[in-house]
Amino acid sequence: MPTATRTYWLTTPCRIRRKDQSLRIERPDGSPVHIPITDVRDIVACEPIDINTAVISLLNQHRVNVHFLSHYGDYAGSLLTSDTSTSGQTVIAQARLAGDPAASLDIARAIVASTAANVRRVVDRKLLTRPMTILESSIAGASSREELMGAEGTFRRSAWAVLDTRLPDWLRLDGRSRRPPLNAGNAFISYVNGITYARLLSAIRLTPLHSGVAFLHSSMERQRHSLVLDLAEVFKPLFAERLLLRLAGRGQLKPAHFDVDVNQAMLSEPGRKLVVQTVRDELAVTIQHRALGRNVAYDELLYLEALQLTRTCLEGTPYKPFRIWW
Amino acid sequence: MIGPEDVGGVHVKYLHHCRRQLWLYARGVRPEHLSTTVQMGEAVHETSYTRSSPVDLGAAKLDHLDGAAWVHEVKSSSKPGRADEAQAMHYCYRLHGVGVAAQGAILHYPKTRRTKRLPYTPQAAEQAEADIAAVLEVVSAPVSPPLLPRPSCRGCSYLDYCWNE
Ligand code: SF4
Repeated sequence: MPTATRTYWLTTPCRIRRKDQSLRIERPDGSPVHIPITDVRDIVACEPIDINTAVISLLNQHRVNVHFLSHYGDYAGSLLTSDTSTSGQTVIAQARLAGDPAASLDIARAIVASTAANVRRVVDRKLLTRPMTILESSIAGASSREELMGAEGTFRRSAWAVLDTRLPDWLRLDGRSRRPPLNAGNAFISYVNGITYARLLSAIRLTPLHSGVAFLHSSMERQRHSLVLDLAEVFKPLFAERLLLRLAGRGQLKPAHFDVDVNQAMLSEPGRKLVVQTVRDELAVTIQHRALGRNVAYDELLYLEALQLTRTCLEGTPYKPFRIWW
Repeated sequence: MIGPEDVGGVHVKYLHHCRRQLWLYARGVRPEHLSTTVQMGEAVHETSYTRSSPVDLGAAKLDHLDGAAWVHEVKSSSKPGRADEAQAMHYCYRLHGVGVAAQGAILHYPKTRRTKRLPYTPQAAEQAEADIAAVLEVVSAPVSPPLLPRPSCRGCSYLDYCWNE
């Protein structure tokens, strides 16, 4: 996804209607906005939206997906166009690889290792040296996805604890909690992870891969898009943990950005706006890509990752998941 | 797997540009909708020859067929290449297949305001048939064809796929 600008983020509740070849976005306050459908790559709805059949058929014709985030920021679901890029031969190759225990375990190992490297990179290199060494030996010894996930969980717990030492009291995680997040820090992480998930689903849909056939997570179980879960792992630290530390460090995140109850927390409306704006800007940040020798946006990294996995499925090239290299 | 009747102009173009690209294309790797070069290609198409009417031949789609049965193709590159020519001859071959006696093709290069006229000859017909067989052979190979040397990949919309790591 070379252009981050083509993704439309809806951060206020609104109604979408169709006007010829345009989307007419009606907000409770203010005059409607018209967006030509050809300007839209996809839509992320961070607030409830109201659409009708005419809009859906226009979205469908132009292969525009809409992703919905719940109030907690959990990914709630997507309106996916029926026309996908999925190709039979590629899906067969993907399923064959996923069904080969040794090959899929290799991919799962690589995902866990890269994820941990990224967590360590953004949280604290030094304090996470030991947990990383332990994780590396567990990865080498693991003989199933369950063992891998267990080892990753152990590493993650150390990382959350270290992360807490760098956050103000009110933002501390006290362990990861979701559905619902128990405190402000967790609410932030859940929300950003939801966005990452939605962006990755869009990216994977542009490749011939099937979003339901996975390597680390179990295919098609409970979660329909388990491949998205796989690929999201390596990017979550880049967005969630990193931005939490940055916003906290600069004092940009305030208690008013959250609605906190005794046993649940979520972003308040200004909080959601701030987070969406921050992530959106971050997705547009570009860096020089080492192999391609040109600038790519963070958003595009997600697509390149999906492409790389396509190549692994089709051509058997080793999959080297994204690692923060800068 | 595709059969001879499914082979279209794009397959033939890719066959001559890069066999690997053809192999990938047949497997659904289609980065062209992301590539800015291709987006520009579409823009060129829309603005330069609005009066022409596209002709749909099933697998093959061509830009315009004039009254004298010459195929017109608008190209976004600046100079004629082997792949463009083979694609144009493929269209003539397909037209003959449906009973239209296409005389040949005229390639338009709006960027350099050049045109190239290619008559459809018996040799061209033979070549077009051989191209279809070659496409099927490449596509059905179990292993992907090798990458071209990087300089030849310039401007290819598959670059991100092939060279990313
Ligand atoms: S990038 Fe190079 S090797 Fe890959 S398809 Fe294009 S021309 Fe062929």
